[in-house]
Amino acid sequence: MLTSTFRVIKFAFQDFFRNFWLSFVTLTILILALFSINLLIIFNVVAKSAIIAIENKIDISVYFKPSISEDQVKNVQRYLQGISQVKEVQYISQDQALENFKAKHQDNPKILESLKEIEQNPLGASLVIKAKSTDQYTLILEQLVDPQYSNLIESKNFDDHKAVINRITTITEKVNYGVFVIALIFTIISILIIFNAIRMAIYTHREEIMAMKLVGATNWFVRAPYLLQGVIFSFLAVIITIIIIYPLLGFVQPYLALLLESDFNIVKYFNQNFAFIFGLEFLGAIVINLLSSYWAINRYVRV
Amino acid sequence: MINFKKITKIFYPKTVALKDLSFQVQPKEFVSVVGRSGAGKSTMIKILTAEEKPDQGKIIVGGWDITDIKQSEIPLLRRQIGVVYQDFKLLPKKTIFENVAFALEVCGTSANKIKNIIPQVLKIVGLKEKSDRYPHQLSGGEIQRAAIARALVHRPKILLADEPTGNLDSINSKDIIDLLLKINEFGTTVMLVTHNKDMVNRIKKRVVLIDGGQIISDQEEGKYVL
Repeated sequence: MLTSTFRVIKFAFQDFFRNFWLSFVTLTILILALFSINLLIIFNVVAKSAIIAIENKIDISVYFKPSISEDQVKNVQRYLQGISQVKEVQYISQDQALENFKAKHQDNPKILESLKEIEQNPLGASLVIKAKSTDQYTLILEQLVDPQYSNLIESKNFDDHKAVINRITTITEKVNYGVFVIALIFTIISILIIFNAIRMAIYTHREEIMAMKLVGATNWFVRAPYLLQGVIFSFLAVIITIIIIYPLLGFVQPYLALLLESDFNIVKYFNQNFAFIFGLEFLGAIVINLLSSYWAINRYVRV
Repeated sequence: MINFKKITKIFYPKTVALKDLSFQVQPKEFVSVVGRSGAGKSTMIKILTAEEKPDQGKIIVGGWDITDIKQSEIPLLRRQIGVVYQDFKLLPKKTIFENVAFALEVCGTSANKIKNIIPQVLKIVGLKEKSDRYPHQLSGGEIQRAAIARALVHRPKILLADEPTGNLDSINSKDIIDLLLKINEFGTTVMLVTHNKDMVNRIKKRVVLIDGGQIISDQEEGKYVL
């Protein structure tokens, strides 16, 4: 049994190197399939990060009446922070509101003149609310309908942004769905490509397989070297894909950071999920290789 | 050694390859099975190696009834019969040494034993100096001799040769037949399937003529008369 096992291993490597160009082509096809899967992962991660980046820019402001004290505003802030749908509530004091206003209208001397005329700060404090999800703003604002809160509030800018927020929510849902569908299609295509590449490789060996059977080899003795080659192909394909992918990630990372205007790091993402991503790819490649080899060889061992 | 008992083989839908065929081959005998293409000669070989199963009748090889042989037993049968094919069926990416060794490796023979046996067998067929060559580096006659070496290496009691000279010129054909005769002299039962009239008439051994899946004549020191 041990002798036969060593022979199977020897035959697997022998066949790999003696059919070098066939091995090279098969390996290349596997690498391309895995590379496309990794591109898909990158696209998926970037799309999700872009959506998060856009969602992070969405917020609504609640403006309080100028007569409302800081304590009252901070009470409302604490109340809102206790709501599960709320991600963050930032307090803008009256003074900060005035500074922000002046900075926003610094190129409009008439408005600045008007402020000087008024002498006192006409603006009230405000709270900038970020929700965990864009579809939850309506729910959050409903919590402020209570007269104990609504009497303190002068205005909210949600109605101005409602249409935009709804549109962004719809688009992100469609993007997520679209990414899922594309991922599914790509994965199926990759599986089919690997499956057919292995089948074609086995097809070129069909005469040899039949000859081995006619000489008295068992099905296991014929199959095992090809199955082992499938494992070798999978291992090499994953390693080479890693070698290609990481420099590519390093190259695109600065552009992605610029595009998303965030601290998103695709290299770090792959590092953190290295075992999961490449482990799954390795297992997936092995399973597809073994199944396709087994099925393809089956036709020719029936001699 | 080989006993065909009323063997019938029909290929779907209604091609009768063999019909009620009965004959025996004795140990150490040299039998030429002749007939035109489509007579059923190769089907006989396939039944002997369990590539095909007869639809009726019994087939006994070396005392073993292989009519309903199990799938798991087929490799064991094939290790006891040496077969030489018209298209050689050598493994193209293995050297001659490795091709011949393969027949022993499937049996689990140790590497040391293989190293000792192969050179002796290759010497018999005249290929000792070319053991490290690949099939594509040899002539047709040399490839067939390598195939014969592979068929002989596990010392089978029976050697089947299915049109072994079909792809060879007359000089190489003569060499192959001479080799088969030499192997027969060592005590191996040889069954040669061929449609080469001149070769059969030169051998002057038993000739079984088949046509339409049936035996037409069976003569000791026979001739192949068309």
